[in-house]
Amino acid sequence: MTVAPGKRRRSSRYETTAAWLFVAPWVVKLVLLTVLPLIATVALGFMTMPVTGMPRWAGLANYEQMMADPAFRRSAQNSLTFALASVPLRLLIALGLALLLHRTRAFSGFYQTIFYLPFLMPAVAASIVFILLLTPGAGPVNVILQTFGLNPPDWLRDPRAALWTLVLISLWPLGVETLVFLSGLQNIPKDVQEAAELDSDRPWHRLVWITIPLITPMILFNLVIGIISSFQIFTQALVIGGPSGQPAESTLMYMVVIYRTAFRYFNLGYAAALSTVLFLGVLVVTLLIFSTARSWVHYEGGDQR
Amino acid sequence: MNIQRLPLRRRSFLQGSAALFGASALPSRLMAQNGGPITLWTPGGSELMCEIHIDIVNEVVALGGQVTNGDVVCGFGPGQDYTQRLFGAIAAGQVPDVSILWDSPVSLGVQGAFIPLDEYMQQFPGLAVENWPGGLLASCQFQGRTYGLPVVAGVYSMWYNPEMFEERGISSAREDFPKTWDELRRISKEFTRWDGDTLLTGGFVPPRSAPTLPIWAALNGGRIFNADEARYEIDSEQNNEMFNFWVEWMDEEYRGDLNLVDRSANFSSGYVNYDLGTGSGFREGRAAVVHDGSWLMGDYWQEPEPTFLNWDLAAHPVGPSGTATVSGIWPNWAVIPVGARNPEGAAAYLDYLSTVGVVDWYRQIPDVPTNTLVEAEPPTVVVEQRGEDFARDVTEFLQEQAGIVTPMWHSPVEAFAQDQLTLAIQKIFTKTAPIAEALADAQSASQAELERVLRQ
Repeated sequence: MTVAPGKRRRSSRYETTAAWLFVAPWVVKLVLLTVLPLIATVALGFMTMPVTGMPRWAGLANYEQMMADPAFRRSAQNSLTFALASVPLRLLIALGLALLLHRTRAFSGFYQTIFYLPFLMPAVAASIVFILLLTPGAGPVNVILQTFGLNPPDWLRDPRAALWTLVLISLWPLGVETLVFLSGLQNIPKDVQEAAELDSDRPWHRLVWITIPLITPMILFNLVIGIISSFQIFTQALVIGGPSGQPAESTLMYMVVIYRTAFRYFNLGYAAALSTVLFLGVLVVTLLIFSTARSWVHYEGGDQR
Repeated sequence: MNIQRLPLRRRSFLQGSAALFGASALPSRLMAQNGGPITLWTPGGSELMCEIHIDIVNEVVALGGQVTNGDVVCGFGPGQDYTQRLFGAIAAGQVPDVSILWDSPVSLGVQGAFIPLDEYMQQFPGLAVENWPGGLLASCQFQGRTYGLPVVAGVYSMWYNPEMFEERGISSAREDFPKTWDELRRISKEFTRWDGDTLLTGGFVPPRSAPTLPIWAALNGGRIFNADEARYEIDSEQNNEMFNFWVEWMDEEYRGDLNLVDRSANFSSGYVNYDLGTGSGFREGRAAVVHDGSWLMGDYWQEPEPTFLNWDLAAHPVGPSGTATVSGIWPNWAVIPVGARNPEGAAAYLDYLSTVGVVDWYRQIPDVPTNTLVEAEPPTVVVEQRGEDFARDVTEFLQEQAGIVTPMWHSPVEAFAQDQLTLAIQKIFTKTAPIAEALADAQSASQAELERVLRQ
């Protein structure tokens, strides 16, 4: 059957309209809840904003204040250290767990659920549980370590240990990363796996040369999400270190500085400037990762995007 | 179900919207011309606290004045930051008529968030300036404006265990309690017993809390913030001397290691330290003296049960450079946010609350009434546990202490400065920075922030 050109054009117009209608709710949400607040945040960064009344133009004053603010430097340093330590560790452990789950035949659904459960626990509750577990003296972790003759650190009160304790705590909810890796592993074609087994009987070789290259899209996804979320660590840092990042600012994270600047010190303009810098910083890092992705991310069919 | 469909025309819809917008933009004073309802927000507290506030609001409504109805919102549940909610409500113009504030009213007040109450203090006799102790009122004021009223206060004093004193042959009479830091340090040693790295019993552990620092600074003849000259004085000679005194004390009596002390028990207050999983050394009969607020009277006999009942209170001892004792407070202030729909009704409510309502409040929850017109009835819990005479005696003592409160919580950058002080205290007691350097850092940061806020 042939369709008249006019009819085809009308049908195409209808399809386009329908497509726009379907995506409209998402576009409206994107504009109202993401794009406009983003533009407002950038604009507010150049203003001072009292609690009541209109904002006033302040030029670069908030950015000048940032350059002289030791809390900005300290929190940026802490957040960077946290990201550099926690993201690779999270990826390695999640990949290890996914490999184990991939090999597990019995109760695999049960184990997947168990690994995902911590992700569902509110961060505040989880932080309080860790505070109790790591309590010096009577805390179960220290009691166990002491029975083995070890001398555990004062996890959350020693300025040299507290940040690393936060890194350790961040390794607990790995469910999402693990499931993403697992889906990648399950999608590796059977014939490729069989061919790899014929080529090499060493599992380590197969992992490095076959498995990991084939799940690089998942590694890229987890890496980008991990970096973004690690720079945005907030709840655990606030519950454990309070607004001043106790002990001695060792747990003072960038998001905590933004929060306390806005809602404790009521300095909204400066908080907006800090948020803009965080946004730009994470954006640059993400773009850098994407720009290198061409050389190390492999998509099925050999098409590298 | 029968739903009647109303015809909606574009013109009538636009007219209705315009009318609604116009009504919402009417000045609040116009809408409150003949009195009206008030809404009270409190930062939380127990169910009992909420019931007390509801009763007081109902009493004011029953008087038939400027308050025709009342609504009480008791906090916003766990995980909700009250100040943040109030801040958002003020920015959005959806404010309560009265808010209880457990924080400085000055910080938000100077940013235009609260209505200055000076006019109402002239209008309502109960709120008159002369009815408030100077130090307490100064804690709500900045540059001649009063941003809140100290209707009740958590009053700090020295809590001590007379039984431990008597066991060591030290007089337990309130009038014999050490009058100077030197005396306190001398008797403190009498109580301190270590078992390995565990502090079994202790005397008094030097304070480390930033919010109470203005009290100790004043006791040593200094201050943290000079409101008259809008200047921080954190790194003053007296404050350097104060921290040197405390660090020496820590070294001499507590091995210079706060962590050892904290792991043994909470030797700094009458409460369990849930972060460290340690009980209160004071309630366990292991700490002879702690520095705590009057609210402990209401909580003292609750779980976990204390091992001794007959605590007593004493005035703060004076530091090496100090001349007279002072007291201090944790705020429990009332404010009227800008945008309140019935500010006159709110002021009338505050008048009643400050002079009448607080009597019942204090009887049920021992937050000390501060208005000098109030004749406080002793807290029921203290009467039941310690008898009428003792309850009246401590009430009188605490009201006297409220009369000698040093101005505190009155900086426009209170939270910022407290965070800087917290950091300085940590550096000093963990010896990660010399005292002078830690105080100088806190001083320069706080002063810079203060100047920035005042420039706006």
